[in-house]
Amino acid sequence: MLEIADIVTAYGKIEALKGVSLKVEPGKITCLLGPNGAGKTTLMMTVAGILKPRRGSVRFEGRELASAAPRRIVESGIALVPENRLVFPNMTVAENLAAGAFTRSDSAGIAEDIARVYARFPRLQERSSQAAGTLSGGEQQMLAVARALMVRPKLLLMDEPSVGLAPLVVEEIFRIIRDLNRDGTTIFLVEQNAHMALQVAHYFYLLELGKVTFSGAPGQIAEDEVIQRAYLGSKK
Amino acid sequence: MRQLRRDASTSRGAKAPRFGRHDGSVWGKLARTSVGAGAMIQFLQSLVDGLMIGSAYALLALGFTLIFGVLRRLNLAYGSSILVGAFAGAAVFAQWKLGGWAVAAATLAAAVVAGIYVERLCFWAMRKGAAIASMVSSFAVWMQLEELLALLFPERTLSFPAVVERSVFVLGPFQFRTEYVAMFALAALLMAGLEWTMRATRFGLAVRAVTEHPEAARAMGVPVARIAFWAFVVASAIGGAAAYLMAAAEEQVTLHSGMQLTFTGLVAMMIGGIGSLRGAVLGGLMLGVVETLAQAHLGASGRELAAFGLLFLLLVLRPGGLLAQDFAARDAAALRRV
Repeated sequence: MLEIADIVTAYGKIEALKGVSLKVEPGKITCLLGPNGAGKTTLMMTVAGILKPRRGSVRFEGRELASAAPRRIVESGIALVPENRLVFPNMTVAENLAAGAFTRSDSAGIAEDIARVYARFPRLQERSSQAAGTLSGGEQQMLAVARALMVRPKLLLMDEPSVGLAPLVVEEIFRIIRDLNRDGTTIFLVEQNAHMALQVAHYFYLLELGKVTFSGAPGQIAEDEVIQRAYLGSKK
Repeated sequence: MRQLRRDASTSRGAKAPRFGRHDGSVWGKLARTSVGAGAMIQFLQSLVDGLMIGSAYALLALGFTLIFGVLRRLNLAYGSSILVGAFAGAAVFAQWKLGGWAVAAATLAAAVVAGIYVERLCFWAMRKGAAIASMVSSFAVWMQLEELLALLFPERTLSFPAVVERSVFVLGPFQFRTEYVAMFALAALLMAGLEWTMRATRFGLAVRAVTEHPEAARAMGVPVARIAFWAFVVASAIGGAAAYLMAAAEEQVTLHSGMQLTFTGLVAMMIGGIGSLRGAVLGGLMLGVVETLAQAHLGASGRELAAFGLLFLLLVLRPGGLLAQDFAARDAAALRRV
């Protein structure tokens, strides 16, 4: 579904991604693990079109999207749940959802989708006219997911959805991820929490210092080793 | 603008003996019976005058904060670009003796054109993250536009048509000047229109989203550069409207009011809280009131002393302004609640 080939993305002279290639299969949860500074968020931002790669290709359902405008990427069916959630704090929950549907102009369809995400997240409906900044961390994460769902994405990019959340809330977020996947959304997940991620992932990649160093199904290598490498990098 | 404020002080107290303490009305008698009541009425009169002048300041601050919110950059050429508008309006008035709508349209149109010039030169052309370069180049454009106006209008002060005929009417113990009432009413109408635009339209939604989290807005397909451009256009139009109302109230426009417009807008924005539209309105009204009170009690030199004193005090006590947009603190609070 998503094929990333030999992507190089740089900040000035520093290459954060040094030729990354990976695949996300349709209907699956694919996870990207790796220590801080490995380039995980850079890869997500590159796929979402916010960062322009220096070279390489990002193909989605056969179409080349590397260096495409974010709007085109959103319209082709990819939505990003950004790191740290980035909900719009002074806007209400309902306005956040409306902003998520910015690229759409079919107001009937938008209203229908708002009803759909409220059915999935009843707590957001209860707080629909509340400013997003007053929500709890878990609720903000739900809102960030709901906002991304407003474009009916085929592929959902999730950048560290568990960061800064209490263990119980993390479990809830992962339950949501599993539910979304069961309902047909392909998920590409970046995580620090390797333990939780390996429980939901169908396939995972390890990214270290801008390069993919391992890929496989969970269980193919010992979880201990994955966790060791995901948090600390490889022992050399 | 100096002229405007001087007029404000002459409209009350001893220089207008027909009203207030010396007239024969009930309020006048009350004012005579106790010095305290007289002082109270004078204070309230200053409050009323201040709110009216402050409504124009609020418009200036709104324009400033709209640009700052979307671009996170300071536009120092703001005052001079809207002054271009006011001079264009004055030129139309001088040339064809047109008043009212024609002058207003010319003022707004020229302010928008000058605003677009500033946006293309100082903001669009600058690289991302080059906030200092934008600020410095906007300073250069400020000087450039003022010199251009000095060249085109060697007389430097032009007369401007009034919105309504100047007169004073009395309501209870207070005097209202028609040109201020017109200014206040039109400014309030504009603010309501802006509020509606920001709440109820797709454009307003996009502007607010870009102001709060540009990266997130971009990820959702909001064309950030285009939204910034249109926000600049709207801010220039609001600034043009403020310049029109202020020039119409004092029936003239002078070259050095460019700096006044910039500083007034900047101070009002900072008092209210950078990036907050409601803060801009609050800051503008507050600045108007404080200036008018200071003018009444301390004279002309006290006015600016009070304005900058207020700014200083607020920056020490609440560095982000009255309605500060403290996202970081709020995020931390949200994390604690989990």
